[in-house]
This record gives sequence, structure tokens and C-alpha cells, in this order.
Amino acid sequence: MKHITVSTLALCAALYGVAANAQAVTADKGGAADMVLLPKFLGILPFDQANRGAEEAHAELGNTGTLLYTGPTPENSVAGQIEILTTAGSQGQDVVMLSNNAGDQIGPAAEAAQTAGTKVVTWDSPIPSGQGETVFVAQVDFGSIGVVMADMAHSVMGGEGEFAVLSATPDAANQNAWIAAMEEALKDPKYANMKLVDTVYGDDQSEVSYNRALALVDSHPNLKLIMSPTTVGIQASAKAMQDEGLCDKVKVSGLGLPAEMVSYTMNGCAPEFALWSFVDLGYLTYYTSYMLATGKIKGEIGETFTAGRMGDYTIEEDPGRAGAKRILMGPFTVYNKDNVEAEAK
Amino acid sequence: MRQLRSTLASWEGFLLAVLVLIYLVNALNSAVFLTVGNQINMFQLSVEKIIVALVMTFVIINGEIDLSVASVMGLAACAFGWLVQAGVPGAAAVAIALAIGFLCGAFNAFFIVWFGIPSLVVTLATMIAFRGFARILVEDRGISDFPAWFDRLGQGGFIGPVPFAMVLFAVLAVLAYLLLQRTAFGRKVYFIGANRAVAEYSGLDVKMVKAKIFIASGVVSALAGLLFAARVGAVRGDIASGFELDVITMVLLGGVSIFGGAGTMSGTILAILIVLSMRNGMALQNITGHIQTGVLGVLLILSVMVPIIRETGSRMLARTR
Repeated sequence: MKHITVSTLALCAALYGVAANAQAVTADKGGAADMVLLPKFLGILPFDQANRGAEEAHAELGNTGTLLYTGPTPENSVAGQIEILTTAGSQGQDVVMLSNNAGDQIGPAAEAAQTAGTKVVTWDSPIPSGQGETVFVAQVDFGSIGVVMADMAHSVMGGEGEFAVLSATPDAANQNAWIAAMEEALKDPKYANMKLVDTVYGDDQSEVSYNRALALVDSHPNLKLIMSPTTVGIQASAKAMQDEGLCDKVKVSGLGLPAEMVSYTMNGCAPEFALWSFVDLGYLTYYTSYMLATGKIKGEIGETFTAGRMGDYTIEEDPGRAGAKRILMGPFTVYNKDNVEAEAK
Repeated sequence: MRQLRSTLASWEGFLLAVLVLIYLVNALNSAVFLTVGNQINMFQLSVEKIIVALVMTFVIINGEIDLSVASVMGLAACAFGWLVQAGVPGAAAVAIALAIGFLCGAFNAFFIVWFGIPSLVVTLATMIAFRGFARILVEDRGISDFPAWFDRLGQGGFIGPVPFAMVLFAVLAVLAYLLLQRTAFGRKVYFIGANRAVAEYSGLDVKMVKAKIFIASGVVSALAGLLFAARVGAVRGDIASGFELDVITMVLLGGVSIFGGAGTMSGTILAILIVLSMRNGMALQNITGHIQTGVLGVLLILSVMVPIIRETGSRMLARTR
């Protein structure tokens, strides 16, 4: 068995034309693993981008199994995710790659899927309790997102004034962790003159977020900034401010997609925002899942593997969730007038 | 032979034929469909909704509607979570949550029965209000860490691999059938639904029957909410939201008239089986949520259209004779 592994490694090294890394495990091409990419729901761009990354890795690895991209409708997200995860277990899928929108409610279903032999790799948003989760592929370190958001707020507001947060759903584990990290960062004396006055939720739906943004402006007359750590919220807020001609008074910042934000950055409504690449996140998640399914890694802390074009990654303890494991993708980019147009193409 | 033909010609007969067809198609399309594990999953994923559909059958046959069921489910589940977190023993929290369901039902009944406000209006208002209370109770966080025995009720097998909620559904389905089709109370439910004015003139205790039904709807919904909390092991403010439409869809598909007075419990149960097996079959074929919802919509339209077409058809036939 050991011989086979060693010779495969050598073969891979020969194929890539590079020296084999002593620690990092590489994937065997042409394995068979049936995989399901399960976003929070269908119909928004970042998830489609993640799917593009997964498809890229799928083709690159020559997986003879299937890659299925399926998700619930936005109104039925929680029950729908539970249903799809459960069905995947019945179908005998090898891995479900889940961007969790159901909080801890999906824990029992994830555990049941694991029992049925289906691994559950989360990405974008983990299962808060870690129940039934093999490993979480984290886009960026949650703590560092907090600092970046605080810094963007500082820069946009000139270091003083009132601002508010417009988040996704109240139980979105990732957004909540980022907001908590930002509140932690705000304790630094550097931000002493900035005041977070409100946190509201737009349910990651454009129309709801749009209305919540306008309501924020009404209820806080001195508001200088809306910080939205979700791609749906930031775009809806920027549009709301633009439509109402409020961009001179209230700016928007947060986490957004360059393609969706470019016009608002150029016209000054959203001068700065940040994001990581969802394509890369899908790609890395796929590599992780494929290597788990083909038995090249076990999902244990300290395992290092090579994720194709993105390089080496190591499974580590998740500092935000006791007992859970993560793979940290990082880093991310702050976009402004100077670099947004190039990225949006 | 004639009896067989009339059974097949009835709505229940039609539903049964559809159900058999769906099972056949699903079994041919997926080797997994007929496995015990999948059949259990199929029921368990919707077991709370189908329990509420049983009581909704009474409500609609009685000529009323209850839109607040999903919000009562959410409120009961959130109240349970809140109480457990506050240190109340699990069994007491279950009892209080059921009592809340009773009060919700009584609240609906009070305005519908004694003030004569249409149930559509009252339960639309309480659908929003009860959901609001649920959100206030747990605010914007999730509550988990329920007692282990409570989680086991929703997650593990109770009799063999069959979970507790499914056993409960089976028992309730039999009871609901007997109550509606075999008792004086059941006949009153139909009679009032068919013509409320006549029922009142003939001295029927219309108000009492309606009040009982709405209170039962509240209690059963609270029970379903608790079962949902046990199955997913956590609650938050939006738990079970939107379920009322799925519940009503199943009942109407079962041939229960939205105008009251007509329909059967076996129709509802057949419709439940059709909706569940159809959804499960589509999920096994990897058909996305949007298409599943669309197919169910078409099914509902057909279920309303077919009886009308058939009636018009037989009237035309009678005229030509």
C-alpha cells in the first residue's frame, strides 16, 4: 500500500514536472467521487462563481464521478438545505459541499449524512456547533475581516461619526462572526470617535435589504456609513443611497463583488469595499472534498495537501469554534477607484 | 365491479391512481426510492407539516382557514427553546409550549367565532403577530442544546428505525379519520361547512364546534413545532416560516373544498403521500427547488380545475340525454 502511495506521488511529481513536497499530499487524477455543491440558495452571483471554481477543479482532476450544483429557493432555504443534504445521504453521494444557511438546525441532518457515508465539507459559512461537519474551508480569517471592515469604515468616514451594519440573515454564522470581530476591533482607541449605532438584517434579499437601508437613514439622521458584510446587502444599500440621492451624506462599504459594485465605487457611493475570490473558494473546497473522498487526506488536524494552482493548505483547529477544523484560504483584496474596474471585467 | 368503477371515478380513486403512478415512476428512476431509509427520510422531512394538515382538513371542511399554523409552530418552538435556556425543565417547557398553542387557538377562535370576523383576516393578523412574538423571544440568535431525550424524539428511531413523529402521525391520522368520518362531531363539521345558516337555524352549536376546531389547530400546530425543534435540534425566529402554504396545498389537493362542506380525511392523506413522494422523487433526480415548487403549483391548479371540468362535463352530458 505504501509502495503504491509513494509511486503515485512520484508519478504526480513527474506529471507536474516539480519535485514532490515532503509533507504536502497531492491528488490522484481520474478518481471517482460523486460530489454535491450546495449553496445557501440558488440565484446569486457569488455562489455561481464558487460553482465555476468547483467545475474548473472537477475538469482539472478528471473526476469520473459527477459534480452536481443544486440548492433550495431563498424562501425555503433552511428546510430545503436539510432536505437536499438528507437526500444526498440516501443517494450515496460521496461529499456534500455546504454553504450553511440553517445555523445549527442542519447539525442532525449533517450527522445523519456522515453516518450514511457522505462527508460534509462546509465553505463560506460553517455549521456553528461543528456537528456533522468534516472540515470548514474558510475564505479568510474571521478576525482579520473585522479589522479590515473597521479600517474601511475609518477611512471612508474620516475616523469619526455614526455608522450602522446591514447584515444578511440573523443566524448567518459567518456574518455574525465578522460583525463580532469588527466590534472587537473597534475597541482600539484609533476608532474611538466612530460609533456603531445599529445592526439590521436584510435577509440577503435585495428588496428587503434596500428597504432596511432606507429605514436606517430615516432612523439615524447623523448616519455617515452603512457597513454591509454581504454581497447582496452592500449592493442594495448602494443602490438605495444612489436612488435617493443620499450618496454625499451616507456612504456604503463592506463586502461586495467588483462586478456588481464597480459603478457605485466609480460614482462615490461605495468608495471602498473588500472581498475574496469566490471562484478560488469553490476551487479549494472542491480540492479538499475530492481528496477527502478519494482517501488522500482524512480530515485531521495537521494534514497538508496541494490544491492545484492555489498551492499548499493545512487543516488546523478553527479558532472561532471549539473542536471544529478549518482550512484557511485568505487573503482578500480591498477595492477602490484604482483597482475595481480591472477586477470587474 | 360497479363499486370499483365508482371508487376509481371518485377523487380519492383518482389520487390513488396518481400515487401509484408516482411510486412506479420513482422506483423505476431511482434504486434508492423504495429503500426503507429513504421512505423514512421522505416522511420525516415533512412530518410536522403533514401532522398539521390533518387538523387543517377539519378547519377547511368547516368552511374556515387557519393561516397562523406555521407561526404557532414557530412560537411554540421558540418558547420551548427560550424556556429551556432559562433553566426550565424540558418536560415543563413542552407543557407550556402546548399551552401556548392552546391559547393561540383560543385567541383565533375568540375573534372568529364571537366577533364574526372572517378567519382569513383574523389568522392573517395572528400569523404576523405570533411570528413576531417568536422573533422577540429568541431575538436574532439560534438556541440549541436541548435535553438529550428531546432531541432523540425527533432524530433517532422510536419503533425500530421509525421515528417518534411518524408513529405519532400514524396514530393521529387514524384518530382524525375516525373523528371526521365516523362521529356526530364529524357530521357537524361537514354540515356547518356546507351551510352555516341552516346549521344555526337547526340548533347546532356552531360556535362551539368552530372554537374546538381552532383550539385543536393551535395545540396540534404547537405540537408540530416542538417536533420540528426536536428534529433539527435548534430553534430560531424564522423556524417553520412559510409552512402554512404547503399544509393548505396538501389539503386542497386532497379534494377538500376551499368553500367548506366537502372533502375527506382519506383524500388529505392520499394528497400528503402524493406531495411527499413527488418531492422526494424529484429530489432524487436532482431537480432543483424552483422546479419542484413549480410542479406543485401546477398540481394544485389541476386539483381545483379537474372537479370543475368534470362537473361541467357531466352537466353537459345530462343535458344531451
